[in-house]
Amino acid sequence: MKAPAPGPSGIETHGFLGEEFLTWLWFRWESDGGEFQLPGGRVVGIAIDDFLTFAAPSDDETEQTLRHGLPTRTEEARTALRQGRRLRRARLIVAEGSRQWTVTVDGPSLQLSGAKLPEDAEETESDQDRSADRAANWLALHEIVLALYGAFLRERLDDGYLGGAGERQAQWMQA
Amino acid sequence: MASIRRSGGATAMFWQGRLPDPRDPQFAKALQKHRFRTIEDAASEETSVGWISAGDPTGGSFDDEDLEAGTATWLRFRLDKKQLPRKWLAIHRDAAAKSRGKKLSARERREIKDDLVGKLLPRVLPTVQMVDALLFIDRHTVLLLHTGKGMIEAFGRLFFQTFALPLERTDPLATGRRTGLDRALADRLERIEPVRWPRRDRGDRALAARASTHAATTDPEAEAVDA
Repeated sequence: MKAPAPGPSGIETHGFLGEEFLTWLWFRWESDGGEFQLPGGRVVGIAIDDFLTFAAPSDDETEQTLRHGLPTRTEEARTALRQGRRLRRARLIVAEGSRQWTVTVDGPSLQLSGAKLPEDAEETESDQDRSADRAANWLALHEIVLALYGAFLRERLDDGYLGGAGERQAQWMQA
Repeated sequence: MASIRRSGGATAMFWQGRLPDPRDPQFAKALQKHRFRTIEDAASEETSVGWISAGDPTGGSFDDEDLEAGTATWLRFRLDKKQLPRKWLAIHRDAAAKSRGKKLSARERREIKDDLVGKLLPRVLPTVQMVDALLFIDRHTVLLLHTGKGMIEAFGRLFFQTFALPLERTDPLATGRRTGLDRALADRLERIEPVRWPRRDRGDRALAARASTHAATTDPEAEAVDA
């Protein structure tokens, strides 16, 4: 039995939206401190860590990767933003309560790579308990990214976006 | 039995439709039907893909405790590949060309390969890859703990063969459809265009000011700020 042939991939048609999402996270982190109130009373903190890749503005131009230290504070990063470039990949620190993850998010695919889950809970004694705990942490990471992306989309798809939140982000990018 | 890993990559995939409940024996039966089958003794180049479980890398059993990982169902699949080692093939072809004192023809190259397949392949062990996936049945979501294109495709095929349900992999559109947008926003998501942020090096002005010059006649989302 063969799976149905896929149509055009959402990576091809909407990959840019994942890049806008990562750039928005950076903007929200710098302008509002990176704390997000998510559905279900969830409060999570987001920060950009030590790895950034800016998308190539066109097929003829190159991606630009900054790693180690504080790449968001570098002149190269500010210049890229002033040129209207979006983040293609970013390493994030995600915190919720006492749990903390680090993960690299690929904008166009929204795939997670190089993830590190929180430490195993102290009460996990058996392999089975540990697996259950880790499975819950994988799911939590996925759901946090999904909820953040949902928050971004509600803002981005709003009628007043260009005159409101979009404009504020544009000013931040030009600063 | 080892534990699910604490680090690495993950690709979210979604399905629509009904899967058997993982606690139902039908679920393990479906995995069993598409279990991994060894190609250790194969005499030709082959690839084998099938389900195994965390407690049994042969695919011989799918016990409940091996599938259970709290809120998740722990799936594992195995992909073995048996191939003639390319370096050995090159060594034998180079030696033949040297002894004949001329470049080999396509037919001679093929004959050497066929000969080596017969001689070497029974002695070659397949490469083995085992990949985990966490299935959350109530969310219609599976997290494949891998990001490689080949593995994602192999997993998608195996899942479809087993459950007759295609998987849709994560991307900004598929994921956006799962964020609970209302109808109007969901429609806008389908046809959204990128924002063209102002560029200081081109002397662009602020986003809204430029957008407003287009807003009266065009979709501001599409035209936002042109370079």
